[in-house]
Amino acid sequence: MNETAAILPKSAAEGARRPGLLRRLRYLEPSNLLWVLLVAALLFLVAVPIGKLLIVSFEQQGTGAFTLSNYATAYGRVRYLEALGNSLMLGALSSLLAVVFAVPLAWAVSRTDMPGKGLTWAMVMGAFIMPPYLGAVGWILLAGPNSGFINQSWMWLTGLQTPLVNVYSFFGLALVISLHSFPLIFIFVKSALDLISSEMEDAANILGAGTWTTTRKVTLPLVWPAVLGGIIVVFLETVALFGTPAIIGIPARINVVTTQLWQFFEYPVRVEVAAAYAMPLLLITIGMIAVQKLLLARKGFVSQTGKGGERRPIKLGHWRWAVLAYCGFVGLLAVLMPLVVLLQASFAKAWGRGLAWDNLTLGNYTYLLFRHEMALTSIWNTLWFSAAAATAAVVIAVLIAYIVARKLVPFGSALGFLAMAPFVIPGIIMAIGFYAAYAAPPVALYGTALIIILAFTARFLPIAFANSAAAVRAVHPEMEEAARILGGGRLLTVRRITAPLIIRSLIGGWLIVFIVASRELSAAVFLVGPRTRTMSVLLYDLSEAGNFEVLAAFGGLLLAITLILVAVGMKLAGRDFMLRRS
Amino acid sequence: MVMINRRLLFGLAAGGAAARFGIARAAEMRPHEKELYEAAKREGQVTWYTGQYQAEPSQAIGRGFTERFPGITVNVVRSTSQVAFQRLSQDIRAGVAQCDVFSSTDHSHLAFLKQNEKLMPYKPKNAAGLIKAAQQAADPDGYFQVTYLGLFLMGRRSDQVSEADAPKSWKDLLDPKWRGKIAVGHPGYSGAITSWCLAMRKLYGWDYFKALEKNQPQIGRSSADPVTMLNAGERSIAAALPSATTLLSISRGNPITLIYPTDGTLMVPAPSGALKNAPHPNAAKLFMEFMTSPTYYEITRPFFSESLRPEVPPPPGSRPLDEVTMITADPDELERDGQEVKELWRDTFGV
Amino acid sequence: MPRLTLKGLSKAYGPLRVVDDVDLTLQEGEFVCLLGPSGCGKTTTLRMIAGFIEPTAGSISMDGEVLSMPSAVLPPERRRMSMIFQSYAIWPNMTVAENVAFGLKLQKLPAAQVRMRTSEILEVVQMGHLADRYPAELSGGQQQRVALARAIVVKPAVLLLDEPLSNLDANLREEMRFEIRRLHDEFRITTVYVTHDQAEAMATADRIAVMSAGRIEQVDAPHLIYTQPRTRFVAAFIGRTNLLEGRLANGEIGLDGFTLRAAQLGQEVPEAARPILLSVRPQAMSLYRSQPQLRDGRPLLPATVAQRTYLGESWDYVVRPQESGLQLRVTAPPLQVHEVGEQVWLELDPQQIAVVN
Repeated sequence: MNETAAILPKSAAEGARRPGLLRRLRYLEPSNLLWVLLVAALLFLVAVPIGKLLIVSFEQQGTGAFTLSNYATAYGRVRYLEALGNSLMLGALSSLLAVVFAVPLAWAVSRTDMPGKGLTWAMVMGAFIMPPYLGAVGWILLAGPNSGFINQSWMWLTGLQTPLVNVYSFFGLALVISLHSFPLIFIFVKSALDLISSEMEDAANILGAGTWTTTRKVTLPLVWPAVLGGIIVVFLETVALFGTPAIIGIPARINVVTTQLWQFFEYPVRVEVAAAYAMPLLLITIGMIAVQKLLLARKGFVSQTGKGGERRPIKLGHWRWAVLAYCGFVGLLAVLMPLVVLLQASFAKAWGRGLAWDNLTLGNYTYLLFRHEMALTSIWNTLWFSAAAATAAVVIAVLIAYIVARKLVPFGSALGFLAMAPFVIPGIIMAIGFYAAYAAPPVALYGTALIIILAFTARFLPIAFANSAAAVRAVHPEMEEAARILGGGRLLTVRRITAPLIIRSLIGGWLIVFIVASRELSAAVFLVGPRTRTMSVLLYDLSEAGNFEVLAAFGGLLLAITLILVAVGMKLAGRDFMLRRS
Repeated sequence: MVMINRRLLFGLAAGGAAARFGIARAAEMRPHEKELYEAAKREGQVTWYTGQYQAEPSQAIGRGFTERFPGITVNVVRSTSQVAFQRLSQDIRAGVAQCDVFSSTDHSHLAFLKQNEKLMPYKPKNAAGLIKAAQQAADPDGYFQVTYLGLFLMGRRSDQVSEADAPKSWKDLLDPKWRGKIAVGHPGYSGAITSWCLAMRKLYGWDYFKALEKNQPQIGRSSADPVTMLNAGERSIAAALPSATTLLSISRGNPITLIYPTDGTLMVPAPSGALKNAPHPNAAKLFMEFMTSPTYYEITRPFFSESLRPEVPPPPGSRPLDEVTMITADPDELERDGQEVKELWRDTFGV
Repeated sequence: MPRLTLKGLSKAYGPLRVVDDVDLTLQEGEFVCLLGPSGCGKTTTLRMIAGFIEPTAGSISMDGEVLSMPSAVLPPERRRMSMIFQSYAIWPNMTVAENVAFGLKLQKLPAAQVRMRTSEILEVVQMGHLADRYPAELSGGQQQRVALARAIVVKPAVLLLDEPLSNLDANLREEMRFEIRRLHDEFRITTVYVTHDQAEAMATADRIAVMSAGRIEQVDAPHLIYTQPRTRFVAAFIGRTNLLEGRLANGEIGLDGFTLRAAQLGQEVPEAARPILLSVRPQAMSLYRSQPQLRDGRPLLPATVAQRTYLGESWDYVVRPQESGLQLRVTAPPLQVHEVGEQVWLELDPQQIAVVN
């Protein structure tokens, strides 16, 4: 054992200097420097844009002098205030509808013996990955009051002249939004239901409660926090949504906050007024989070995390077909019907001529792929912006998650807080903040790929962070300590031990960010320049170019790309990687 | 400035006649073109920011230029006019010179650039051969030319509205029988619609729109949105349609027919100009010559654009312009009252 | 020169002193157990030795060189130690052989030597036939053996074990105790072993350091810890005992109801008059149905059986000496059966009575 004993040089002279030497050795730990870099990155990505937004809202255009006039302008017209009210009502109605869609589905998939669970699951996934503005286009084809397939069938069947449904209405708008946001509530509620032991229900049954009473009085109240969390997320998503209100809301004559913000961005751009007008969105967000805290603080909801006991599916008997029918109905509305009409339009020469063999063509696709000037560029832009943003977000997120989980620096949790902050900042506000902070000189990022990549990175950092934090938490610290005590430095340990253990989760997180970034519209539409249009923005532009066939074909391309990515994700990171909740 | 422009009509008539007599394209380079070409060849390229045409015709123009002037490539930077202008403003503010030639559908963009001394005073020699209307709408000091003519008119679903029933004039749209049948764009999203609003206000006062509102028109965003609504059968009458997009749609088999309003088809001239600090000044001048030459309008004709050269016939399906009553948008008025009209619109229609 | 020296070692989190002024010295090849209840600071001490935690006061040195002192800590990877963790921390993405070879590869040994030493050590821990398995395919005991092999194969200057057996079931735990001691006897690696299980400590250690509330109460060989506990905590924590309070005066220890002569005890008792605490193990007393003969002046007291519990290997009786408020636990062989309420004679062996400070 003697050969292992010489740890440090032994001369007495050096012994005297040792504390100094050791002190310096200690500071060689790279985590401190990394911490500084990460703080800088987070300030740049999150704090500065939001701070700048706040400051700009009090600045005079051009001079930068302090003024309150932006607020006076932003709230000086009844129409602007109405838009605010519309947004709030739209958010409330959409989240309510989303609950109606999501909770029965989550309950059926999680707790019952309903057949066709896989199909229901796939349908929810489909609703989740279909970009909302594409669903909006599909629903215009379905429920346009005169031309929509539903209304035409209805009029043909009944001989009536009045339409059955009208997508160009407040309810229509809310319905279309909720059909693409209900998967969020589904994910929240299903994971909560999965944790409830059947014993909870047995306890109610033994006291004489039937299945329905038990579900209503015991099971659902237990997942109330999940439902509430889902409602809040859907509400905030709805209030911050741009594409669907622009496509459906304008013909329906419904002005909302986001379309109003867009008006402030028309020439001449009034970013100062836009900033002032964006403030209520931020306040609403903060308010919602506070409400959630308040409502959940009163009851002890801890019991739902208890893992004890088995979980048996509830036997529904004949009712299981009724429940399945409901799931099918939701799937029809959210995925199948819009998809079918979109595909029909994308393969049609003239969409107005309806279904006919001589009306079929691949021309819309070949036009986009081979002759359209922006289509390929925008596909390429989308792919590489999303890839760059996903990479940046995952790298930053995993470093922060690691530093926080291993408590490498003091105030590490502040880093985690900053990384999660964009979750509660609407994407459109993020984009305006980025515009205010970085578009103009001296940074002058307007029209560059960088500003979009940075905005995407910031916007989706919370997704990457939640994913990375779960991955890092799953690695026992002793796994790393075992490598260090055997002589591996911190970096070597991360490379050889930690990285291989979390890489699968990280790939999953990367793909999720990639997919949501590739369809992001709200943030992109304010930041793209002539050469940096993404697929989502081009799709939005096409939606007003008078050519529905090409628009539908482009939507088909976007969906095809997304589906390929999802397939890759399932292969690499597990079947449910998109709908998993950590 | 709504008027039926006699000189314009004269010019158009002459153009139509010329086309009918089949005066051929100027295939040979003219001497001043040759001279510029020699100088421009050394520069090798030209950068064109444009919002006038859709992507496909823009690319075709770029290719056509290189075909005619080999050795000079065109960097086509196409977007909507608003974005193109925003981009150029950013360039100017950052002190970067990237753009050689700038084309917009919004007259005020070029007027603004001229006022700020950002444009090159160059009057292409070929411009003398443009139709009169184009020459007159050009900048008198030669800072920019009109290179595109947007025509905005009405359209109907031919399978739902017979020619006899169809509205004949803008005024006819106010008839209560069109309640719930009309589609129209939005001045907040489309400069052409803003021009149309100004023209209607001039003709009939703002009450025209208050009456139109009672007919519950479907409001889209761009001026092309009503084309979609007609294609879909969602609405059967469209107001202020762009002729080119509609003709393209008709050529694809959609059952749509154009209506030339008796109280005047709206003509919106769209200008182009070379930049003062153009990085490729000779190529920029040559491109301006190109844009005012017959070749240019031969290239854009298959895309249903109106021709500004008398030698080149109107696009298929379009009525010869000499048979059309015209009202012209006034750029100064657009500049002055554009914002006001947008706000009025929003107050009237709610969006 | 000692291999490992902890001097005045302390760790505080705010006002909370988790480790409080710990002094400990290990000679080369020595096996020392840190034994104490959970929260006593033993794991913190071990992790300070490993270099994962920085001390707030005091120092740790190895072979005379300081490894740790406040704000100057040599990182763990440069200490040439190795450690076995409570969770084993076997890397699931590597095979058994790769796990074991990891430390050797870090030492940049030639590949042939890495292979040779890996297979040697796997044979020693009887895991040679499972070298190519992945950890998920191993039982808990097998994973423990891999952890042992991985820690020993690098010939560390000090081997640290953090409750290594707490996740194993009782039978396996006993087996692994002897395995750990066997490996120590074979390789003579200086070892610090943290446990809360006294049987484990007794079976493995050369010396046991009993810790309580961040302090070391006593460091001694296992049998001395048991027979001569120095503090009330050690006496109560190690094995079961009866703690009796008395007064020492004129060579006599006065207890509740009877007296002992100080000279009779197995250890020296200072002559000054003062209160005194005695630890009497249940095995240091015997029960008799009828009055036995006096032996070597051992105190003999009449008593009543108050409670009894049958433990299989022995009877556990609680008896009350007459004319005394005491309740004493006494261990008796399985065949010696007394009924509750029965009158018995209680004999104490003063040689087995320890004076506790």
